Formats: sequence, structure tokens, C-alpha cells
Amino acid sequence: MTSDAPLIRMQAVGKRFGNFQALANIDLTVTSGERIVVCGPSGSGKSTLIRCINRLEKHDAGRIFIGQTELTDAMEDLNAVRREVGMVFQSFNLFPHMTVLKNLMLAQRLVRKITRQEAQDIAMHYLERVRIPEQAKKYPIQLSGGQQQRVAIARALCMKPQVMLFDEPTSALDPEMIHEVLDVMVDLAKDGMTMICVTHEMGFARSVADRVIFMDEGRILEQAPPLDFFQNPRRGRTKQFLSQILQH
Amino acid sequence: MEALSGWGDDFFQGSVVVAQVFVASLILMVIFGLIGAAAKLSGNRLARTIAGAYTVVFRGTPEILVILLLYFGTALTLTAIAQLFNPEIRFIDVPPFWAGTFAIALIVGSYATETFRGAFLGVTPGSIEAAHALGMSNLQVFFYVRVPEMWRLALPAFGNHMLSLIKDTALISIIGLNETLFVAKQAIGATGQPFTMYIVVGLIYLGFSTIITLTVMGLERYGNRHLRQGT
Repeated sequence: MTSDAPLIRMQAVGKRFGNFQALANIDLTVTSGERIVVCGPSGSGKSTLIRCINRLEKHDAGRIFIGQTELTDAMEDLNAVRREVGMVFQSFNLFPHMTVLKNLMLAQRLVRKITRQEAQDIAMHYLERVRIPEQAKKYPIQLSGGQQQRVAIARALCMKPQVMLFDEPTSALDPEMIHEVLDVMVDLAKDGMTMICVTHEMGFARSVADRVIFMDEGRILEQAPPLDFFQNPRRGRTKQFLSQILQH
Repeated sequence: MEALSGWGDDFFQGSVVVAQVFVASLILMVIFGLIGAAAKLSGNRLARTIAGAYTVVFRGTPEILVILLLYFGTALTLTAIAQLFNPEIRFIDVPPFWAGTFAIALIVGSYATETFRGAFLGVTPGSIEAAHALGMSNLQVFFYVRVPEMWRLALPAFGNHMLSLIKDTALISIIGLNETLFVAKQAIGATGQPFTMYIVVGLIYLGFSTIITLTVMGLERYGNRHLRQGT
């Protein structure tokens, strides 16, 4: 399934919030099927990095390509690009006024414009994959955090994206719910989904990632396959960070 | 009670007028409120200033004064304009129904502006972001995510606005609209029974406001269905 044509290309990308340099000179290429884990201290630009990929944030320097399409102000169909890029948020962000099933069907109906029956079949298929088909008729608030996050993953998968972005998907969860979400993400990785995950779950990074990226102060300081990354971190800043998070 | 005989039809007609004014002013009030809220939330300074002036003026002046100003003001203005073209015209009458409906819709709309503004701000930004990330257009996000989340936040205050509207219809009798209070005054003139007639008007308004209150309660139950635990 993996092809060599890059799915995402970021060239010298920069982003400021006022005087704060959130991203500086980011170069990143992601090929289809690759699984990347991004880590780094808070405020290092990890979230901003992946939020630029589906243009929830606009970069103000450099260029970003999704497939052949460049993300610019002048682009004709941003939503066509967003359809190909699934996103899972730290705070789940389900639509509170809709049942789980409706949450999964809404964008399929509006954006992919398929029939109600098709959308429902696809929704149920992905609810099975995240192992909570029995919750289809419930409202988000009636579910645990882990269940809500799995619904959010299923909702993104329903759009049949080419790449999935995860923005600290387990940070808002109680410890006992973290693994049920990680299990689903591991399954996805096994199926060959291209993934970029911002996470501090180093066990997940070890077992799943092709590449681990370490960011600090808006820059990519280091990137390496997980074995290399954890055993021979080259930079002092990386060592310091790893020793802090691996203590726990 | 026999004083009422012969006036039943008139009171019924008056009630129909009340209902008509209520429905027309409700629609206008929602439109004014949404435009006002959109203007207040917009990035355009001029729009924000105009909306700010609107809420200050209409929330800060007596309702009866607004009705009188709108009725006589538009009538005099229209007359002056018409006289430019045809000096023969003495006076152009504005229908009290529309003058009154616009007046109370503008007044209550100024309160609704604040209600809608607060409700839009109360929508969780996360679900809006998620909708965009799924590739939904701005219009789709507005109608399928923003509005369904905001209306239940607006509902309790909106119920009060509807009660204000129904009660304000009584004020329009002052510019000659033949609603229930207007009928009551005629009936009092003919029968000399002010207490009975005013009680009838009171009961009619209580009936209307009970219907509104029950409707709002039902809508709140529906709007908050997703907040109930368990199934």
C-alpha cells in the first residue's frame, strides 16, 4: 500500500501568534503509510504543527502541500483537503446535541453527500472497529471519556481520510481509559493508516511509530526511528525531556 | 356576567388580532435579534457601533413612547414626502397593526440581540472546530452545529421575550389597534362595567401566556434531551 509519493510536504513553515514564534523553519515530509509521533514540552509547537496541516491554523511562512494541493488563502477548495485529513482532538469535540450515530453520519451526509443508509452502514462499521457499536443511540455526555474519544476517532474515519492527525488524544483521559484509546490507534496503525500523533505515550511511540519527532520552541530538534530516539538521543534538550517524562 | 353578552364576538376578534400581532412581531423580533447579534459579534466596528446604539436606544426608552414615535413619526414623514409630489394630500395614515408590530418587535429584538449574542458565545468552540476539520462549509457549520447548540442556551431568556411580546400587544391599543384592550374600552363605554371587562382582557392574556410558557417548557425538555443521564 505504501507509495513513495509524499502525502504531506512542509517546507520552511513558520507561524507566529503575535510576538510568539510558534513554528520556525519546519521541514517535514510524510509518505503514505508512515506513522509519526511528535513529542516535546508544552508550548513547543506540536499542536500548531498538526493544526497547520488541516489549516485550522494558517501558516505565515513557507509552504505546505497535501498531495498535489498547496494550502494557501487562494485555494479553491479547502474542505476537499480537510476531507482527506482526519483529526482527533484532546477534548474529543463531539457534537453534544447529537447521538453517537448522528455524530458519525453528519459530515458523511453533508460533505461526502452519500445516502442516509450508506452513511449509517459506514458509521456502524467504524463503531464496531472502535468496539462500541452498542453506544450508537446514546448522547456523548452519557459516555466515558475513553468512549467519547473512540467515537471521535470513528467519526474521523467515516470520512475515509488518507491521513489521521491526533492532537494529544489521551491527555484528557483518566489513566484507566488511556489504553482503550491507544488500542484502537494501534489497530489503525496495523491497518496501514498514515498517522501523525502528538502524544507523550512513549510506549505507543515505541511500538507503533516509524519516526519520532522531538520539538522545542517551534523547531524540530531531532527525528529518528523510535529505537534510536530513545536509546541515543543526540541533543541535550531531548535527553532532558526524555528523562523527565520517562521517570513517571 | 350578562354585561358580556353581545361582546363575545368582539373579544374573540380582539384575541385574533393579538395572536396576529404576536406571530408577526415574533418573526420580526427573531430577525432583528439575529442581525443584532451577528453585528455585535462581527469584526466590523461600524456594525458593532450601530448594533450597540440599537440596543441602548430601544432598551432605554419607554415602550409606549417607541410605539407613538414610530406610528406618528412614520405617518408625518410619509405625509411630508407625499406632499412634495402632490400638495393636495392632507395626511397619510400608517396602519396601526404594522406600526405597532414593528415597534414592539424592535424593542424586544433589542433584548433578543443580547440573548442571542450570549448564546452564540456559549457554543463550545471545540465542536465548531471539529466540524471544520471534517470539511463542513461555514454555512453547514452554522446551521448544523452552531444554531442547534445555541438555541437551547437562548431558550429560557427567549421565553421571557415571547411573554414581553404578547403583553406589549396591549400597548398597541393606544394607536387604535382593535385588540382586546381596545374592545374592552368600547365595552366599558357601552355597559359601564370596567371591572368585568378588564378581567376578561386579563384572562385572555393569561391564556396566551400560559400557552407560551408550556410551549417553552416542552422545547426546553426537547432541547436538553442530550443532557439527561442514562437511557
